[in-house]
Amino acid sequence: MSTTDTQLSRRDFMVRSMATGSGLALGIGFTTGAIPGARAATEAAEAFTPSIWFTMMPNGHTTVHIVKSEMGQHIGTALAQIVADELEVDWQHVTLDYPEGSAENFAVYGLAYTVNSGSVTTEFDRLLRSGAAGRIALIEAGAALLGTNVEDAVAANSRVTDSVSGRSIAYSEILSQTTIERRFAYPDDFRDIPRKDPADYKIIGKSMPAHDIPSKTNGSARYGIDVFIPNMAYGALVLPRSRYGAKALSVDDTKAQSIPGYIQAVTVDDSFGKCTGWVVAIAETFPAAMNAAKALEVEWDAGPHGDVSLEGLLTEYRALQADPEMGAPWVDQGDVDGSLANADEVLEAEYTTDMVVHATMEPLNATVHQVGDTWHVHTGTQSTSFARMTLTAYLAHFLGQPAEEIKVVVHQRVLGGGFGGKQDYDEILAAAYCSHQVARPIKLIQTRETTFATSFPRTPTLHKLRGSIQGGAFTAMEHDIVCGYMGPRFSVGKAYGTDWLQLDADDGSGRDIDQWSIGGSDHWYTLDNHRVRAINHDQTTWAVQASALRTVSNSYNYFVVESFLDEVAHRLGKDPLDLRLSMLTGEGSSRGIPNTGHEPGTGSDYYMDRLWISLPWPAENSWIPYESATVGGAKRLANVLRVAAGKAGYGKRMPKNHGMGLAVSAAEERQSPTWVAGVAEVAVDPESGEIDLQKLTIAMDMGIAINPGNAVAQIKGAALWGASQVLSERLTVKDGAFEQHNFDTYLPIRLSQVPEIDVEIVESGNHPSGVGEPSSTVVAPAVANAVFNAVGVRMRHMPITADAVKAAIQAT
Amino acid sequence: MVALTINGYSYLVDAPPDTPLLWIIREELRLAGTKYGCGIGLCGSCTVHVNGEAVRSCMVQAGDVEGTSITTIEGLHYADSHPVQQAWVEMQVPQCGYCQSGQIMQAAALIAANPAPSRDEIVEAMDGNLCRCATYSSIVGAVERAAAIAGSEA
Repeated sequence: MSTTDTQLSRRDFMVRSMATGSGLALGIGFTTGAIPGARAATEAAEAFTPSIWFTMMPNGHTTVHIVKSEMGQHIGTALAQIVADELEVDWQHVTLDYPEGSAENFAVYGLAYTVNSGSVTTEFDRLLRSGAAGRIALIEAGAALLGTNVEDAVAANSRVTDSVSGRSIAYSEILSQTTIERRFAYPDDFRDIPRKDPADYKIIGKSMPAHDIPSKTNGSARYGIDVFIPNMAYGALVLPRSRYGAKALSVDDTKAQSIPGYIQAVTVDDSFGKCTGWVVAIAETFPAAMNAAKALEVEWDAGPHGDVSLEGLLTEYRALQADPEMGAPWVDQGDVDGSLANADEVLEAEYTTDMVVHATMEPLNATVHQVGDTWHVHTGTQSTSFARMTLTAYLAHFLGQPAEEIKVVVHQRVLGGGFGGKQDYDEILAAAYCSHQVARPIKLIQTRETTFATSFPRTPTLHKLRGSIQGGAFTAMEHDIVCGYMGPRFSVGKAYGTDWLQLDADDGSGRDIDQWSIGGSDHWYTLDNHRVRAINHDQTTWAVQASALRTVSNSYNYFVVESFLDEVAHRLGKDPLDLRLSMLTGEGSSRGIPNTGHEPGTGSDYYMDRLWISLPWPAENSWIPYESATVGGAKRLANVLRVAAGKAGYGKRMPKNHGMGLAVSAAEERQSPTWVAGVAEVAVDPESGEIDLQKLTIAMDMGIAINPGNAVAQIKGAALWGASQVLSERLTVKDGAFEQHNFDTYLPIRLSQVPEIDVEIVESGNHPSGVGEPSSTVVAPAVANAVFNAVGVRMRHMPITADAVKAAIQAT
Repeated sequence: MVALTINGYSYLVDAPPDTPLLWIIREELRLAGTKYGCGIGLCGSCTVHVNGEAVRSCMVQAGDVEGTSITTIEGLHYADSHPVQQAWVEMQVPQCGYCQSGQIMQAAALIAANPAPSRDEIVEAMDGNLCRCATYSSIVGAVERAAAIAGSEA
């Protein structure tokens, strides 16, 4: 059957059910001409229609198509709640599926990429409108079947009811009795589509049980590591000599050959710049592969980064910071130099933060095989799109074929944790290469040890701060940041051939700024004179493969900004709460961006205009949210701070060596802030320096909480992630290799270390922003500030170890 | 060859006896609910029951558990509604879920041995199970809830 409608413009969309017995599908932005052959794998053939966001079957069952990764945030449930509420479909009739990563699906759905706590922020508006369009079409069709006026018909719980006669018809009856073809012109109809009053939401704002949870309690959830392909062999990686740039000169497998099941060793083609120095032992079983990997004798060239150490990096960071010609301004407001020159006192501080790493509970893995002309990838990834593109480019590279002739399909699985750690694709490339070498499906499982050794940590950072105090007031702040930009590794930035960066942060000298490495330093306090200088240490980027880790640069920049603000407050003799509230005025650049009702797709000044619009996704599939998540600006930050301080009993008398500290943040991006405040309560043992984190109080304004129960769970989990980072997690590099390889030396928080956590959701009703990450950013500075209030020492390094606290106390 | 009894079924597996039980369960028998996390007994993702006791299957050689009764997450309850599983769903514990089979097996062994554990006993019993999503805040309450469900079913 043909579904092509040449009357549709490129951006029009249509609600259409096919011939009786098929179903209803709806989407925006499918292209005209060739209808893509894209659909969810589980969708029955007869229901095929060019749909994007959901499909309704004749029995009324509705499948919402989720192009986001399930990595613990239950995003599918939240997105389905948004659709279902406007669609007025019975929640019991809603299921989810996850379209695979293919070129065809990319043409329909655009970029599949789950990062930045951005899923609800970017999807909310268009999902509401898509659901509303479906409801309108069903009401019109239902009214016709009931023989009543459309104006009198209302929809609820999968039924259309004539409000005059009370007669009603089920969605399933409508869909099985008639064919719906209802056109909505883009953008006018889409923009003006009547949506529900938020007061009438029945599913949004309710703690609906997550769809993916039952399968995660009985062992049936299928992660990447749980894939089994007939005739597959296993691959295990030899611990590489250094993190990046090592070369395997020769491999001797004499000893490995005596291991039953050993097949061969494969030196992965690393001339693409990925998987450098990777040698994979292939065997019939994974234990045999692991044993063989240990038995292989590899002669190494350590490569250009083989002597990199943390101490060496910090020395170089200090030299870069000391050179005023280095870097470029990310924030440059007012007259910082003049203010510092005229200051009564200049407060100076150096902060540093160590590397930390995702250490997802599911070690990195991928299963790859070729069937006919198609390469199939089975894995759990934060981006099926980039996984597909990266493998396509790699295959073209080592096979010597044109990329256009290479077909890759990425079959998405549940992710055993993401946190930014599943947006690199080395296992996929290596598994594909090995599969090609041995002509069998390959399941490559990284052991915990090689997962650590080949991980993509958060960069080490060095910060130099100067604060100007004049006439008893805080008048200027200068913040230099030195770190390894993660952007260049992802080919971000003009110097690397794309313009995917904050253009307004470019000083014109070609010294790009990677906002993912600097963001968060552009805090929301009103301060007339403020400068942030961003300095890249290029070798760090490559030597440690610097990457994004939950909240990205916010995690270190809010630690530094919020700690330094406390230093300023104490120097001024002001309470840190009062100083913050006096600076969170919501004026000037901190006012936020009002809702101005711009034209759809034009971007203007909203969330995606800078960060996202240049991503390689089909522009006609883009829908820029109408509403700004930044409405209200810093006033919302002041509000959550008051709430958190009040709930925590901030200011109450504390026992000796106990302290309370507070912090605010607006992660994740400046255009998509979630407003959060945290109060930490600690007891410090002055003899040992041990910090006992006793309680965390978090208040968060995310606009609308789609699923409040899950929001609270995410807030608590992220807060503990922050606690883990500030108290115990530390990754170090020596001789170009990471020194921690397992949970004996890399120490995530455990149950016995968990404090009481009190969470308050402050719903302002504004455009929703994400909840999966932001609360982690306030914990480190709140703990540091609490330690100061407990024992009077200012801890300027993250993590804050007991030894460091002890040493600081002894030094006073 | 190794002879194993898992979830009531007898298996004869062609594997060296020193193979970690984990890999036989997961990759040979494809009872994939049991997860690999660290391989050195420090994360608990691979927890199964051997004669009712929670053990780290990555640390157990298959040959050493011949003749025992082994239970994995798939065999914990015939209808997936062991009191711990009920509590886990009710309290919406899992996030990414990867460690949760191990958490559930650990908790099930705990309440089998100690039908009314105190909070401290729960923390002590569960402290070896890492959760990178830090669902810890839910876990203590969910174990208490599971104990209550088990008590009411008894």
